[in-house]
Amino acid sequence: MSKTAKKEGGLVLDAAVYSGEALRLAAFVFSDKAEITLKQGKGVFEVYFEGAGPEFSPGDYLNEALNQQCRLDLAGKNSKAAGMIATRALLSAAGNAGKKA
Amino acid sequence: MALKKAAKKTSAAAVPPQLLWKRDGADFLVTNDFGHYSWLKKKDFDSLLACKVGESHPLFAALSAKGFVRDRLDFDGLAAKWRKKNAYLNTGPGLHILVLTLRCNHKCLYCQAAAGGAAAKDTDMTPATARKCVDFAFNSSNPGITIEFQGGEPLLNWPALTAAVKHARARAKTAGKELKLALVSNFSLMTEEKARFLMENEVSVCTSLDGPADLHNKNRCFSGGNSHAVTLKWLKYFQKKNEAQADGYRVFKPSALLTVSRYSLSRHKEIIDEYVAAGLEDIFIRPLAPIGYARNLWGSIGYEAKDFAAFYLKSLAYILKLNRSGVVIREKMAAMMLDKIVNSRDPGYLDARCPCGAAIGQIAYNYNGDLYTCDEGRMVGWEGDDVFKVGSVFKDSYAKVMASAPTRACVVSSNLEAQPDCARCVYKPYCGVCPVYNYEVQGSLWGDMSSSDRCGLFKGIFGALFALLKKPGNEATLKKWVDK
Amino acid sequence: MRNIKNKTVLVKVPLADYDLDTVRYAAHAVSRAAHVFIKLDGRSAAAVEFTPTGPVSGKAVAASFRAELADEKLRAAIYAANRELRDFMILKALSKEETPPQAPQDDSGLTPEQEKELDALIAQVESEIKQEASAGASKDPLGITRTWEDKYGAKKSRKKN
Repeated sequence: MSKTAKKEGGLVLDAAVYSGEALRLAAFVFSDKAEITLKQGKGVFEVYFEGAGPEFSPGDYLNEALNQQCRLDLAGKNSKAAGMIATRALLSAAGNAGKKA
Repeated sequence: MALKKAAKKTSAAAVPPQLLWKRDGADFLVTNDFGHYSWLKKKDFDSLLACKVGESHPLFAALSAKGFVRDRLDFDGLAAKWRKKNAYLNTGPGLHILVLTLRCNHKCLYCQAAAGGAAAKDTDMTPATARKCVDFAFNSSNPGITIEFQGGEPLLNWPALTAAVKHARARAKTAGKELKLALVSNFSLMTEEKARFLMENEVSVCTSLDGPADLHNKNRCFSGGNSHAVTLKWLKYFQKKNEAQADGYRVFKPSALLTVSRYSLSRHKEIIDEYVAAGLEDIFIRPLAPIGYARNLWGSIGYEAKDFAAFYLKSLAYILKLNRSGVVIREKMAAMMLDKIVNSRDPGYLDARCPCGAAIGQIAYNYNGDLYTCDEGRMVGWEGDDVFKVGSVFKDSYAKVMASAPTRACVVSSNLEAQPDCARCVYKPYCGVCPVYNYEVQGSLWGDMSSSDRCGLFKGIFGALFALLKKPGNEATLKKWVDK
Repeated sequence: MRNIKNKTVLVKVPLADYDLDTVRYAAHAVSRAAHVFIKLDGRSAAAVEFTPTGPVSGKAVAASFRAELADEKLRAAIYAANRELRDFMILKALSKEETPPQAPQDDSGLTPEQEKELDALIAQVESEIKQEASAGASKDPLGITRTWEDKYGAKKSRKKN
């Protein structure tokens, strides 16, 4: 990790690259491994890790943040197709019971 | 009169229709949402991308018929194909797994079910609960349901099994649904009397066979005797009954499942030979999943995706070799995937569909009437995390269960259109993700497919199948597996 | 590309050539082999750091990343161009009710235009029959005893393609 991107005890991430939502979702995924707090700055997010066990790595957190961001990027483009399929699946499963509900 | 309707040509630069691709050496595999596929040389792939596959191109007829040429799209035909391939989107849960007991008399190395000892009767389903579960299953919006009895070892709870079977058969007479009954058992407690009851009530039977005796018994420890011997004994019994048949009811062929542990990886030929010798025509090569109890033992019995892929490819190649010499044996996972690839048919494989079958395709009924998205979800619940619990037969209606938060969460998170890697993957038309696996292994229902071993495993299987389909000799044999 | 430390590799991607979504996905696609960190390098580029986590070298990861960039750019363009059509096809597929297979219909051998012409002719005939019937009762109010030729003249030839 380059020194310019590190702050003591945490990471500084470009808000244009990693959205707050992606960072929060990634923090939740690792909530059993470390206490992760986010602080929004000007155009950046600062991410701090506390109480992290030996199995935790900031690099893993960053990969998960990127994973979540890619998912959000896709949702922005594909939500209609995804929504049609999910809706149909749930309505069909509910069947007549769903119609009565 | 159905006519091909030409798509309007846009004024922008020509683009191919939506397609997915993967480079494989010098060739490209292309697929599309409708389930069509084609192997292309690089020059043809480049022509396709540049929209230069015109009527004079040698591949024009094949590619346009498959929906790879944008101004020759048969909208009606392609929509019908998509509909057929995704027919499960029109129905509710078809598979209903009744966990009759958590007790078991085996201690299988890889058991995900966290089976209890044979004395722990407090984990038996009561006959009343079993009947209640059957009633719940008949609420499904699916016109056909399969009730599958599992455990632990379900034969340890004979009263609940017989109560459920009788009640289901009685309900089926008036419910207007097609009913299938199935039992998954280690056969160690089978008797002639029990077998007769099962056959008379048309309950199909399935067991586990992990290979030759030493391998099977190493994986499946049975303190009461020789697990391998008793498995073969009853397989042969049911096979003979199937051949003879009987008046008044159908006797189904027994089937067997293989669970691949680390000890299996170097013994594919012996395992397949064992299945052939046992008279079985199908072998279901199932990878181990680090879910439930198996997760704790992963270090000693688990393996990487690439190791399973190598085992699987060798097994398929050996099975095809046997087929060519006249031996009837086929691999069940491959057959199901091929049914999708070749026939655009839904084989009912709940693990590989979009969205996955969690709750909307299957329901697992725990011994106490608690309902889960699937058996794997139930195993997570047994470990103390009820994230996949969708309700209770005693407290919740069918509608409430289908609308429950875990049901919706599993549908959303297993939708390949919303998964960044899957949405771009060449195998997307045939694949599926498992929110339970993602949750157990990667910490979220969505998971991260770029680093998922399960994804790696499925890619290995598809890679093996498509590589085999590339060769005309293999293609013909494989297509016979799914000729119906 | 430069090695920052022994292992970490930095790749700069011009944003004029690849948008940020493309850079993110391509980096994500190789993240099994490395920890990935992306930041903006001014306004014109993204700087992507790969720190290998396994046996694959940083150089190899960077090469995979570049290949993925090209693929993803192409995929994104194809996807964007086909999105509406794709949504339409899925909606079409989901909307149609499954109907039982029907008996095959006779093929009249006519083009759609000719079928339309015939339909219009039939509609005209039916309208005239109704008019005649409403004009008053007659011995043959429906004109059943009159031949087609008596009513409308000789048959028009229908050309087949």
